[in-house]
Amino acid sequence: MKPTFALIRTSAGTSPVAIALGVAILAGLFLFPNFVQSPYALHIMILFFLSTIQGEAWNIIGGYTGQYSVGHAAYFGAGAYTTMILMQYKQIPPWYGMLAGIGVALVVSLIIGSICFRLRGPYFVLASIAVAEIMRLSAMNLKDITNGAEGILITEIPVFKIGETIVTDFLSKVPFYYIGLVIALITILVTWMVQNSKLGYYFQAIREDQDAAHSLGISLPIYKNIALALSAIFTSLSGSFYAVYIGFIDPPTVLALDISVQIVLICIIGGIGTIWGPVIGAMVLVPLSEALRSNLIAQMIFKTGLTSEESGIGTFLKENLAHAHALIYGILVVVVILFMPDGILGWVKKLTAKKGRG
Amino acid sequence: MATILEIKHVSKFFGGLAANSDVSFSLDEGMIMGLIGPNGAGKTTLFNCITGYYPPSRGEVIFKEQKISGLEPDRVCRLGMVRTWQKVRPLAKLSVIDNVMVGALCRTNSLKTARELAMEQLKVVRMDNKPNFLAGGLPIGERKKLEVARALATQPQLLLLDEVMGGLNPAESDEIIQLILEIKKSGGITQMVIEHDMKAIMRISDRIVVINSGEKLAEGTPQEIVNNPEVIRAYLGDFHA
Repeated sequence: MKPTFALIRTSAGTSPVAIALGVAILAGLFLFPNFVQSPYALHIMILFFLSTIQGEAWNIIGGYTGQYSVGHAAYFGAGAYTTMILMQYKQIPPWYGMLAGIGVALVVSLIIGSICFRLRGPYFVLASIAVAEIMRLSAMNLKDITNGAEGILITEIPVFKIGETIVTDFLSKVPFYYIGLVIALITILVTWMVQNSKLGYYFQAIREDQDAAHSLGISLPIYKNIALALSAIFTSLSGSFYAVYIGFIDPPTVLALDISVQIVLICIIGGIGTIWGPVIGAMVLVPLSEALRSNLIAQMIFKTGLTSEESGIGTFLKENLAHAHALIYGILVVVVILFMPDGILGWVKKLTAKKGRG
Repeated sequence: MATILEIKHVSKFFGGLAANSDVSFSLDEGMIMGLIGPNGAGKTTLFNCITGYYPPSRGEVIFKEQKISGLEPDRVCRLGMVRTWQKVRPLAKLSVIDNVMVGALCRTNSLKTARELAMEQLKVVRMDNKPNFLAGGLPIGERKKLEVARALATQPQLLLLDEVMGGLNPAESDEIIQLILEIKKSGGITQMVIEHDMKAIMRISDRIVVINSGEKLAEGTPQEIVNNPEVIRAYLGDFHA
């Protein structure tokens, strides 16, 4: 490969067009429930916000700091379980339970960090998986606290009041839409603030070369733990949000390895170590997994007339494509890693940069 | 002149192998100390012991009258001693200016101040014409200069250069020699230089320490070193001594 002398910062300021576009998208997102009443559309958007929060959160430790944690289900589950246990057994409303969840996730992250950050590279990855599995097995077996494999089902979400006025009773999906949107925006804002601060520089230095970073006055344990703690806060928040929104949790849905892998995939597919990568990853993965679940892909194939519903291949696709979730995910990851090592965002950037030069 | 660094009876063992054994010498403020020796003599190990990457097995390192052996490298850097790497370690996916800013952020929390400091250091190494190039795409000569700029940005009092001329062509080496002499002239920074290029090391060093098989073989001015039969024997064998 010949060395690339690419300019990475072409213009210092943001163009007015980009600002106008950003404001328009933001306004559109806030007004969306006024125009679209379909609960399914709102559901998809809420899942999109949830994935964005998870992706951005992982991005801080994985994308910027380069510590590939494949155990983020630990923080997701910590948030989900803390909120649900407090709400269901102690009648503490979820907006306080959410804060308690963050507290628990912070403690867990500091314990995990102080142990696992002694390890580097693949050993850290394995340790992070192990810790999440320990959490899952604990939740399975500590039946008195977590209700074990039966999980926790919400019977009722308390009404959210400020003073005496009822803000929302959580009966429709709209309040969840706005809560998800606001948390997602906060997460993106925090990521932006991290990237444009000393922390961002130090995190990226650690990602690029730990020994060099160490020699330049960067304390590795301190900054890795800060990154993990920040990441844990938002992952836990997404866990609390998920738990209250879905209304049911059990160890396989909030603490399993697939949750951790899913979180990593959002970033890898979108573009690691960038602010908009996880957003794009969520934009691709959420509709894809929904399409697979409701067999939309098989139906699309029938519509294009490639094969009919009655033919042998058609029946096979109809019956099996919905369950091929993991297979299609796997193929997508392979394609992305082979052809777009910097994710979709990196690939698009490279294309536009080439056009700009030629 | 005041002593800035004192290495006292430092030994480093890897299992049964003594990479350094009982090495002692000291550096005065503002001088350039050359550190030479055949391949595998233990020069880089000594750098690692001084800057905190390895704790010395025995002995101690005193920097500015403070014992620093046993401290982590980041603490050592904050105290004012920084090293460059024989095998360059650019932060490949960051731009040139961002690389140097990481160094500058050691002394400030403001990105703006750090950027200004970094730009100054890039001027010193004459790379201020390409601040936005990716560090990973630079040719070796510029990577070496980037290493130096990044180390200087931490505002050290003692700079340890590990073979900054290794792999460079004569013109590039000459540029580095000028750079080292300029850093000396600007004052305030003491330097210790590991180098294989004898001509270069004789030209820039005020004093030279020779290490062979982990032990200090000789110490003196460049003149004394070239005339030392022990040194000639270590490098060229008995026949020439």
